[in-house]
Amino acid sequence: MLRATLRSFLAHKGRLLLSALAVVLSVAFVAGSLIFSDTVSRTFDRLFASTAADVTVAPKQDLRSPVRTGAVQTVPAALARRVAQVPGVAATQVDATVENVVVVDRRNEPVGPTTGAPTIARNWEVTGRSPVELTSGHAPHGDGEALLDADTARHKHVRIGDVLTVQAQPGTFRVRVVGIATFTTTNPGAALLFLDTPTAQTKLLGSTSRATSISVDAAAGVTDDQLKQRVAAAVGTGAYDVKTAGEQAKSAAASLGEFLKIIKYVMVGFAGIAVLVGIFLIVNTFSMLIAQRTRELGLLRALGADRRQVRRSVLTEAVLLGVVASTLGLAAGIGLAAGLIRLLGVFGMNLRTTEMVIGWVTPAAAYVVGVGVTFVAAYLPARRAAAVSPMAALVDAEVAGVGRPLRVRAVVGAAVGAAGAAALAGCAAASRTATAASLLGVGVVLTLIATVVAGPLLVRPLIRVLGGAFPAVFGAVGRMSQRNALRNPRRTGATAAALMVGLALVGGMSVASASMSRSFDNQIDKTLGADYIVQNRSFLPFPQEITETVRHTPGAGTVVRQRLAAIAVRLPDGKRVETAASGFDRQLDAVAHITYRAGNTAAALADGHLSMDVDFARRHGVRLGSVLPAEFQGGRRGELTVAALTDQDQAEGFGLQGGLYLGIGTLEKYVPGTEDAAVFVNAAPGTSAGQLRSRLERNLVPYPNVQVRDQADYKKLVHDQIAVLLYLVYALLGLAIVIAVLGVVNTLALSVVERTREIGLLRAIGLGRRQLRRMIRLESVVIAVFGAVLGLGLGLVWGVCIQRVLALQGMTALAIPWGTIVAVVIGSAVVGIVAALLPALRASRMNVLAAIAHE
Amino acid sequence: MSTPVPVPGRASSGGIAARARGLTKAYGSGETAVLALDAVDVDIARGRFTAVMGPSGSGKSTLMHCLAGLDTVSAGRVWIGDTEITGLRDRELTRLRRDRIGFMFQSFNLIPTLNALENITLPMDIAGRGPDAAWLDQVIDTLGLRNRLTHRPSELSGGQQQRVACARALASRPELIFADEPTGNLDSRAGLEVLGFLRDAVDNLGQTVVMVTHDPGAAAHSDLVLYLADGRIVDEREHPTAEAVLERMRLFAGGATRAAGPSLGTPLRGGDGTAVGEA
Repeated sequence: MLRATLRSFLAHKGRLLLSALAVVLSVAFVAGSLIFSDTVSRTFDRLFASTAADVTVAPKQDLRSPVRTGAVQTVPAALARRVAQVPGVAATQVDATVENVVVVDRRNEPVGPTTGAPTIARNWEVTGRSPVELTSGHAPHGDGEALLDADTARHKHVRIGDVLTVQAQPGTFRVRVVGIATFTTTNPGAALLFLDTPTAQTKLLGSTSRATSISVDAAAGVTDDQLKQRVAAAVGTGAYDVKTAGEQAKSAAASLGEFLKIIKYVMVGFAGIAVLVGIFLIVNTFSMLIAQRTRELGLLRALGADRRQVRRSVLTEAVLLGVVASTLGLAAGIGLAAGLIRLLGVFGMNLRTTEMVIGWVTPAAAYVVGVGVTFVAAYLPARRAAAVSPMAALVDAEVAGVGRPLRVRAVVGAAVGAAGAAALAGCAAASRTATAASLLGVGVVLTLIATVVAGPLLVRPLIRVLGGAFPAVFGAVGRMSQRNALRNPRRTGATAAALMVGLALVGGMSVASASMSRSFDNQIDKTLGADYIVQNRSFLPFPQEITETVRHTPGAGTVVRQRLAAIAVRLPDGKRVETAASGFDRQLDAVAHITYRAGNTAAALADGHLSMDVDFARRHGVRLGSVLPAEFQGGRRGELTVAALTDQDQAEGFGLQGGLYLGIGTLEKYVPGTEDAAVFVNAAPGTSAGQLRSRLERNLVPYPNVQVRDQADYKKLVHDQIAVLLYLVYALLGLAIVIAVLGVVNTLALSVVERTREIGLLRAIGLGRRQLRRMIRLESVVIAVFGAVLGLGLGLVWGVCIQRVLALQGMTALAIPWGTIVAVVIGSAVVGIVAALLPALRASRMNVLAAIAHE
Repeated sequence: MSTPVPVPGRASSGGIAARARGLTKAYGSGETAVLALDAVDVDIARGRFTAVMGPSGSGKSTLMHCLAGLDTVSAGRVWIGDTEITGLRDRELTRLRRDRIGFMFQSFNLIPTLNALENITLPMDIAGRGPDAAWLDQVIDTLGLRNRLTHRPSELSGGQQQRVACARALASRPELIFADEPTGNLDSRAGLEVLGFLRDAVDNLGQTVVMVTHDPGAAAHSDLVLYLADGRIVDEREHPTAEAVLERMRLFAGGATRAAGPSLGTPLRGGDGTAVGEA
């Protein structure tokens, strides 16, 4: 029996190849993401562990800000001397490191990375922990000298002797590059600029009495933990975080982990899509193989093989396929990981592919996914194979799978579909985001299952309509292709399902993103009253002198600054909410249109006052005049009086719940040193907006990291950011389509083989080769479009529900991107044509007489 | 067009529907070549019902396939009407089959996804032509298919399916109908019915029919029987009766698998794989 299984596996290897490809792809993504994240985290763990001091004393981090505020938290530099006296301390060192500087060269081109990685300026100290070593030039001494890292110097063509301008919070200063430092560890992608310690303290932190942290070396025989306890006892933990090297490395790795997690999720998304779509392909392939082999299986049964043996034979074939495909997938995964690591190099992170980490989990996961998926997908077809009666060998049976009733599918599909529809209806009606989101998830999964299960039932009605014009347009060829697509609804349904899954995803996401764009547009139209907004390209806060430049530009009228700060408010209902608050200048009304339910801008921005979104206030029992205890980043506390309630659409977006804003004066009192996050400018009377823009842009030339944007630019910016999400979805779609095309090719190829005699007859009575190819192409197109219509229909429903969830977050506009939808339908027809190329060619090459005589 | 040498099946009147000269079909090449047809000369008379008989392996199906433009020839020339079809390209051959020839096969004659009427008009639909309505009605009524037009093949009996195939062959009023064992899969009653229709098509509708069969009873419905053995036409008989045909076939019986009837008393070319026949 095993020999028969092996023979049959080898005999059908061509057919199995397509299914194997789907498995290979999903295993490759699983293995690739595991290898990649293992490699990256191992590299960075090492980097952080080797560069962290035995113990570090840093300012207390009590509020994790959801936004970058620009405020640099410091400890007194004098703390180093106090710590040095703690028993067990060998040495202490003052650190002055800031991540939000902008470095530009003589031509005002930014020297730092443009990929979002930080430009870090820090003090130069030669220790065993430094990630770099001086490779040319000399160490910086005094004002005006700096070292630059070698990678940045090479990329931006900076040489020793070049003068760079550094824009830091205390002010802009110039430095001459006196040396180049080269990474001895993995370059994490940042640009590094080193100054001597006093210069770093003055120019970056504003004073030599400040430091961003104190590094402590342990004396021989003192462990990090012991040292940490002693230092903590000496300095107190009320204002400082005291961490060992291990803890420091862990928290550094955790913040990098966020970035890795995103890549991991993306890869898992790809793997998931590949698995999901691959399952359809495998089920379909095995079903068709078994349908074709009905007589052979009947013969085996007649010769005495029992059901278990037949089933086991099919499943063994599946496991063989799984093992082969998993092995290939694992190899492809290693390649994928190498590619991703290389891609990181483009972003400035130079990992060596030779340091690739392949843990035991990777192959285990690869084989579990690959073999598991194949086994599960082949299980139903295997059972069907076992059910073949010995009589099948003797009777010239029509190909199986045509006549079996779809009653079970109808019942299951209707039940699951009803549950899914109920969940989606519940989602649309829900008033709390959490409820709506979980109902959405349940509804999406259930409706997807229902559509897959009931797909074959929808084949007849839908394809009658979709292919309805075929007989009229393409005559007999059109009629036959439409009928062929209707011939085996199970097969058509399963083939189209692969395409459906991907397109449902795209449909849903494109509705969601179009709705988001529309909502933001409405919001911008409604609230933004300024002629221009000056902002950093990456939304980072910027130094005061940029604001001053804007203010002193001729023709600039009202200038309103916006600053951000992390805040935690204790609300009357007992909840403590951590969020961010915006601080504005008092002329806010000149640049923004705010709808107040109570109070006004003047009241809201007055000292010690605060404005809040009316819905948020109502939920937490806040009323006009409520006094709220508030904590700020950096540890200051105070009480704020609610002086205005606003009606904001996007009160809850981006984790900034509450829609809190207050006067810049109030903000500065509690969080000194925040930088401006945005500056709103109106043209002064007598100056046209266009004139103002060109003057602003001219004056801001030395600051390449900020941009002047009007409403249209601002909308475009928002659209571009949403588009990033869409590109990801399109990439997923691309993968799903590749696999779906394989499925369509598979189905058509098998259908062509099954219909050999029919094709022979058609050719004999005068069907031309081109007509035959067209017939197969049209069948393929109608199957693909069927999948697209089903998927987009489902996706539209999902999209509308996603929009309901977004509406709870204030994004109330619903937009359906009809252009995209029409394009996808047309695209799916093209997919159908492409998928039909080979099967059609094969059919048209058939020898007429051989085809007629075919058994 | 006429040749001085008498040719089997030569038309007595009404012209020639199909013609072959030196028609040779070999499978394989060199030493192992098998001659399925060995320089066959034949004329198919227009307006007549010609039967081609012979034991299995005699080349009768190959002859039909070559005459109908379904198969390529190794040597020789074939004409349908005045059109030489040897040397035509696939597209022209396809068009010729579609427009000028009707086909009936032993089994699997109909497209399962199309109903009876759609099957009948299929060649014209493929050509993008509308059928001649009056003629179509006449064919449908003659074959008694009026009540079955909307049925799918799976809803028809074997005899009804062959009648639909017959109707399809007639519907486009082809110059020539080729029927390859049209009664092979039918019980005798249904077989007789189909033969009756073919006879009718010749007598009353003026069609030309070439039927390949190994059944003497079926051949007896024809106007002329051509006997094929080992790739050559070895005999012919006008207005045959079943008994006469059976009698003639018995002559092959002795060496039916390989040799022609010894009773012909003609020299034989022997040897494995080489066609043997009358000079």
